[in-house]
Amino acid sequence: MSGTVSLSKTTGTRGEYTVVTARHPWRWVAAATVTAAVILILVSAVTNPRFGWDKVALYFRDTTIVNGIGITLLLTVVCMAAGVALGVVLAVMQLSANPVVKASAGMYVTVFRGTPVLVQLLFWFNLSALYPEITFGIPGVSLDANQLITPLAAAILGLGLNEAAYMSEIVRAGIQSIDQGQGEAAGALGMSRLQTLFRVILPQAMRVIIPPTGNEFIGMLKMTSLVSVIAVPELLYSAQIIYSKNLQVVPLLLVASIWYIIVTTVFSVGQAYLERRFSRGTSRSVPPSAAERLRHFFRIHSPQASGRGSQS
Amino acid sequence: MTTEVTEPKPLVRAEGVRKSFGNNEVLKGIDLDVRRGEVVCIIGASGSGKSTFLRCVNHLEKIDGGLLRVEDRVVGYRLKGHKLHEQSHNEICADRSDIGMVFQHFNLFPHMTVLENLMEAPLRVLKQRKDEVRGRALGLLEKVGLAEKAQAYPRHLSGGQQQRVAIARALCMEPKLMLFDEPTSALDPELVGEVLRVMKDLARTGMTMIVVTHEMGFARDVADRVVFMHGGRVLEEGPAEAVINHPQNERTRAFLSAVL
Repeated sequence: MSGTVSLSKTTGTRGEYTVVTARHPWRWVAAATVTAAVILILVSAVTNPRFGWDKVALYFRDTTIVNGIGITLLLTVVCMAAGVALGVVLAVMQLSANPVVKASAGMYVTVFRGTPVLVQLLFWFNLSALYPEITFGIPGVSLDANQLITPLAAAILGLGLNEAAYMSEIVRAGIQSIDQGQGEAAGALGMSRLQTLFRVILPQAMRVIIPPTGNEFIGMLKMTSLVSVIAVPELLYSAQIIYSKNLQVVPLLLVASIWYIIVTTVFSVGQAYLERRFSRGTSRSVPPSAAERLRHFFRIHSPQASGRGSQS
Repeated sequence: MTTEVTEPKPLVRAEGVRKSFGNNEVLKGIDLDVRRGEVVCIIGASGSGKSTFLRCVNHLEKIDGGLLRVEDRVVGYRLKGHKLHEQSHNEICADRSDIGMVFQHFNLFPHMTVLENLMEAPLRVLKQRKDEVRGRALGLLEKVGLAEKAQAYPRHLSGGQQQRVAIARALCMEPKLMLFDEPTSALDPELVGEVLRVMKDLARTGMTMIVVTHEMGFARDVADRVVFMHGGRVLEEGPAEAVINHPQNERTRAFLSAVL
């Protein structure tokens, strides 16, 4: 074992035989091809002065940009929270036995999924043109729509209500994935519909609901860039504010893009761990996390490893 | 094995119960009385309507015709003078809380421990005190021989253990009637015995039980009465010994010779 690193990797013996691990030559071919492509792209990016990397570095932690990230995160969290809460309500309504309730939830989903979110945002932004005064039909209540519907409020309304339509479909699928026998057992024990839903059905449906909700969260993070059209100073609009003054369009778009990648990557890792947590105990083998896969790669490709048995 | 009337009023009385799924009429007028403390086994081929009838008794299925009474209630309706008012869902739930049901596929709640499975309904439906429910639940687990599994999750139990937990869960509501829907049909053969033993013990305590089953041995040993159903009708009923060993109806004979 010590010192003798042979070319054909042996991973131990089985009785009188020596076990030789399988070769994967195409993996190395793919690795070489991808490395070459990445180097080409990098060289082009570095040598082309129009990318303006010095400007990217200059504005990367600009106060305007950092504040923009703050607004982006705030919008994402608030809109997702609203979307999930309203989505659960809509999903339950869609599964209701009451035909009126069921149909109205269906209509909501049809309208909000059937129109582009950009159009919805513009509608909320221009609500004051439609209803200059908001009275909620209550005498004595009169609110100025222009003051009430700030750009930020319009953004939260537009993104949150749109998200609710998508979340309701995710929650509905989750609820329907649960075996009917669960509802019957709860019913036979005398539990009411709401008790059955919140104590028996939804806790089990979470496993189905969590992964696509993570996707929606990351989608929402990027979708917030749409509200730049109604002048909410989130990440993209902050970049636009700066480049409208100094005309450094590409560097500032790069700044915004890099920040979007950083934030979505952080959330993706979080999502992966969350999914593993919720799949625990249900699937036989939980797929390894990214960190575990890296450790595994270095374990089997280190010279010291070649003699040690790694077969199970 | 006394089938003589010991009490004037039956606990369960079915009068001409009918039920259809679409155009398929699965119950074509069932008449059946079950007295307090009696164990009645319903046997018959699949598709004979025996499970459907059982599910009608606690209104998991809504009947289309006839009347089903449990004690002085009419299942699914409120009796006011000569009018039957259809019950709301929550009223139906309240009525179900003293009828226990055990399913073929156990239907334990997989996200709760065994103890939580038992305690959930008494706490939420009957609003009983936690320490009281806990004591009763642990006692029941002891009785079904699973005291040491109180903190386990259902997926870590064998089928037979899961079904025993399901029986304990139903009993934790302190029901006056227990319904068993083919409780051993989904079990590996070697696990059937432990579930039947628990049911036999329960029968000895005087619990009123309606059991849909294919276990003829159990029916013969434990049931006071056996009901043979075929094509949505009751074709034969009587003392277990008589129906199983000396069936009168030709179809009963054919069925029994096929399963015994």
